[in-house]
Amino acid sequence: MAKLEILEFPDPRLRTKAQPVAEVNDEIRTLVADMFETMYAAPGVGLAATQVNVHQRVVVIDVSEEQDQPMVFINPEVEVLDPAPHEYDEGCLSVPGFYETIVRPGRVRVSALDRDGKTFSLEPDGLLAVCIQHEIDHLDGKLFVDYLSPLKRNRIRSKLEKAHRQRA
Amino acid sequence: MARKSGRSNTPKQTRAIAAQVLAKVLLQQGSLARLLPAAEHELPPNEHGLLKELCYGTTRLAPRLQLLLGKLLKKPLRKPNSEGKKALAGAEVEALLLLGLYQLQYTRIPDHAAIGATVEAARELGHDWATALINGSLRNAQRQREALEKKLSGNPEFSSAHPLWLFQSMREAWGDEGSAAIKANNLPPPMFIRVNRAHESRDSYMGKLQEAGIAATASLLAPDCLHLPNPVGVAELPGFMEGDCSVQDESAQLAAVLLAPAAGERVLDACCAPGGKTCHLLELQPQMAALQALDSDGNRLGQVQENLERIGVAAELVCADAADIDSWWDGEAFDAVLLDAPCSATGVIRRNPDIKLLRRAEDIRELALLQRRILDSLWQTLKPGGRLLYATCSVMPEENAALVAAFIADTADASDNTPESISAVGWGMAQDAGRQILPSETGGDGFYYALLHKAAPQTQ
Repeated sequence: MAKLEILEFPDPRLRTKAQPVAEVNDEIRTLVADMFETMYAAPGVGLAATQVNVHQRVVVIDVSEEQDQPMVFINPEVEVLDPAPHEYDEGCLSVPGFYETIVRPGRVRVSALDRDGKTFSLEPDGLLAVCIQHEIDHLDGKLFVDYLSPLKRNRIRSKLEKAHRQRA
Repeated sequence: MARKSGRSNTPKQTRAIAAQVLAKVLLQQGSLARLLPAAEHELPPNEHGLLKELCYGTTRLAPRLQLLLGKLLKKPLRKPNSEGKKALAGAEVEALLLLGLYQLQYTRIPDHAAIGATVEAARELGHDWATALINGSLRNAQRQREALEKKLSGNPEFSSAHPLWLFQSMREAWGDEGSAAIKANNLPPPMFIRVNRAHESRDSYMGKLQEAGIAATASLLAPDCLHLPNPVGVAELPGFMEGDCSVQDESAQLAAVLLAPAAGERVLDACCAPGGKTCHLLELQPQMAALQALDSDGNRLGQVQENLERIGVAAELVCADAADIDSWWDGEAFDAVLLDAPCSATGVIRRNPDIKLLRRAEDIRELALLQRRILDSLWQTLKPGGRLLYATCSVMPEENAALVAAFIADTADASDNTPESISAVGWGMAQDAGRQILPSETGGDGFYYALLHKAAPQTQ
């Protein structure tokens, strides 16, 4: 297992649209294992392959407090079950240190392949529903800051750019 | 998606609180029994179980974990004579590392969660400087687990998870039975309750437990005692608040049985807190002429009062040092005295595993001097023809058989009258004086009892 580097906003590679996974093979399973290690170390509750510069439709999530319920979503599709808006203070490993209230539908149905390539679907609510939508956005090249006003987004961008310059 | 950060304003997480408790034990500033209730206040009730498991589990194996930590660190975290903030910071980081090792090796918490949460707890406690050290040490432990354990397996302190002095004393005193006791010390303690025979019979109470779905077996040794193979909270015990039963170890329940107070007798319970044996004496014999119960700790006497009130009985409580008889004794002699002496508590390590960290070899001698002083003093308050039950929850002969044998040799009117059997079954191991019980896996705690008889004046 290896910890991977997480791309940070405004890195243009985060805007890449990911390709569907053709076959769930050992290569994908290694990617999944590495993504879990990267996510747990961050610490995060979800990670999309896009964030580690792999442009395939793979998402890992673990929203449990004890971090013992890892979930894998390959080629995930989401369908809104209840459009009623649901607010949550989201943060993102690619936008470190910033938390903003984002409104999304509160209940969705997700269908995806698991790490053995089998189809499954579930109807999450709460944090898991928020998280899966957040991660699927990543696969489509979208970030949670896109939901914010341009003013807020630009302020976050300049702060992160400054941090990147200082690190370099 | 990032985990919601909550570094500053959110309450501390369980592992940070556990580290603060454990650090105080490492610095000899308190016991788990005293520190945990206050610490629980800082956490929601659903975290109390984890807090207890982390604190008790880690202290139970502390000698082993400390050796392991020594192998992982290049230099010790604490200097023996550092003080104040520096000592506290060092102790908290050591506590975090011990907690981390415990979670890695002895719990089902996944490794990454154990490491991540421990590092996070270090940040919460303001020890950001130590996060790399903690992360690195725990990851090394995870990788080198087998090699390290192999290297340490020949060290008795590691294999027994007892400090060396204690391991050696127990081996020396009790041989293979000492080894069995050491093993029992590392297991979670069994749960025993005492049925209040003044309210109902043991059989009838067992029926109630059965209705409540709580399994219980009757002790062959202690007549009021039930063993609960699956421990439950006291709130689940039928009639607990009404005093129908109490939680008390099987061995501890022998005290009142051995003293066997009779109707009309004047009885003294010296060093009575927390009052379990006081209550048992009153349940066994409600017709005593008087029961005086002493303790030198006023706060703990409050606990005795609470216990008495729950059972619905009364005793004359006095806050005094038992050895200083001029300060409390009115000169009227007692028919029977229970001396449950302050001791090293080396027989109840499974219930108080912090004894492994708090007790020192040199404490035993000091305790023995104190015990002898109290015994000599209380002997004077006993009627000729009366009896004194000397009891400790220690397994050190210096505090027990050796001390009582010397007392008998020095005291003309004292003789050993300890019965070989109780309730028709034998108990403990015969000693030069009195009998010793060692802790065992499903049996009672380690206890020592000697029933001493004071000679009546010769009648012609």
